Amino acid sequence: MTHGDNAGDPTAPAGDGPGLRAVPDPVSDSRAEADGLLRAVARGDEAAFEQLYAIVAPRVYGLARRVLRDPAQAEEVAQEVLVEVWRTAARFDPTRGSATAWVFTIAHRRAVDRVRSEQAGAERARRVAASSGTTPYDEVVEEAAARLERQQVRRCLAALTEVQREAITLAYYGGHSYREVAGLLDTALPTVKTRMRDGLIRLRDCLGVELGR
Amino acid sequence: MTDIHGLAGAYVLDAVDDVERAAFGRHLRDCETCGVEVAELREAIARLADPTWSVPPPALRDAVLAEISRTPQERPGRGGRDGSAAGDRWRRRVAAAAAAVVLAAAAGTVTWAIQEQRVRDARTDVTAARDEVARIGAVLAAPDAVVRTGAVPAGGRVTVVASAGRDEGVALLSGLAVPVAGRVYQLWLIEGGTATSAGLLPAGRGAATVLLDGVRGKVTFGVTEEPAGGSSAPTTTPLVALPVT
Repeated sequence: MTHGDNAGDPTAPAGDGPGLRAVPDPVSDSRAEADGLLRAVARGDEAAFEQLYAIVAPRVYGLARRVLRDPAQAEEVAQEVLVEVWRTAARFDPTRGSATAWVFTIAHRRAVDRVRSEQAGAERARRVAASSGTTPYDEVVEEAAARLERQQVRRCLAALTEVQREAITLAYYGGHSYREVAGLLDTALPTVKTRMRDGLIRLRDCLGVELGR
Repeated sequence: MTDIHGLAGAYVLDAVDDVERAAFGRHLRDCETCGVEVAELREAIARLADPTWSVPPPALRDAVLAEISRTPQERPGRGGRDGSAAGDRWRRRVAAAAAAVVLAAAAGTVTWAIQEQRVRDARTDVTAARDEVARIGAVLAAPDAVVRTGAVPAGGRVTVVASAGRDEGVALLSGLAVPVAGRVYQLWLIEGGTATSAGLLPAGRGAATVLLDGVRGKVTFGVTEEPAGGSSAPTTTPLVALPVT
């Protein structure tokens, strides 16, 4: 594996894309499958865990790598997350969301925790304070944009206002707090909070997310 | 809506600090609609992980599988609260205490064994019930779920949710007249001229939520009144028949 943030050619992982896209909405199929697998995992089914691993591990690892920008740390965090999925699978409540959302919520939280603990020091604070938004901001948004190509989420992110999109991608892929995002975008705190929420609501509606009813 | 609620977006993005997270968590406990909003936003945000898809190092799989094989799982519990773990501990303690008494008496070993079996049975029942609730939730949330509802002329309503993809369905019966003694409601899945029993309601029941297995390929769902114990094929005219495709 090469080093650096742009190690993965953004199109490489999506190399499966064309094949996958030949099938209508494969993601939702794997989402439904993941629900059943996670419930089997909750009953101690190791074979089901291996199948679930195949579905979620590339995104658990990919997300950790995106947020942490360090393959070695991403691997550690991904391992923590996947073992936590095994250990706490019984907490999954399908009436409150999908198995994949449950797994990626844990993954994002762990990755962000790691970023904050690693970078709690002056370095990150200084970088954020000194930045007029150019370096980390452009990096995150550009990478995010590249990776979003040919994905449904890209369409939906593109439908957001610029500030909404920037606020969400900086927080999600960059692991930045909303205070940092406000600094990076040179925008007032309440505005950032509002843009994040409004943007996510639009994203939710665009993606057609609906809880079972 | 209070100011704290404005944090919903930052909260689900993990972009708040620990104090704000705790404050928002307290807010969530008092605000039911916020819980739904947070769950839906989480569902949307999770999709942002899709484009990060990246081949993990092969060593990760080996390391994870090795670790889970020696990692005990949390007992099934409610929403991460430790109530049920505490319950398990309590049951174990009761069983241990019962065992001590019995051993001291040196006579009631059989009684203790039976009690322990009952504790195990109760635990199995609870697990099975929770599993069924989870399966019902999954059917209701299935992307291909088909929902049909119909009124029973004599009173009551029947709704069927069927997912061919999961090969499962859920039947909801409400407000049906309680059958007379010796009669029960029986559920059927029908395809061509063949009706397959999909379950019996307990005697004296005119309402239930029932998980249906094997809905794939079936055309119709029906409910009939049958003698207690059920019939191998419908013996009365269905009170209601609903398409399941």
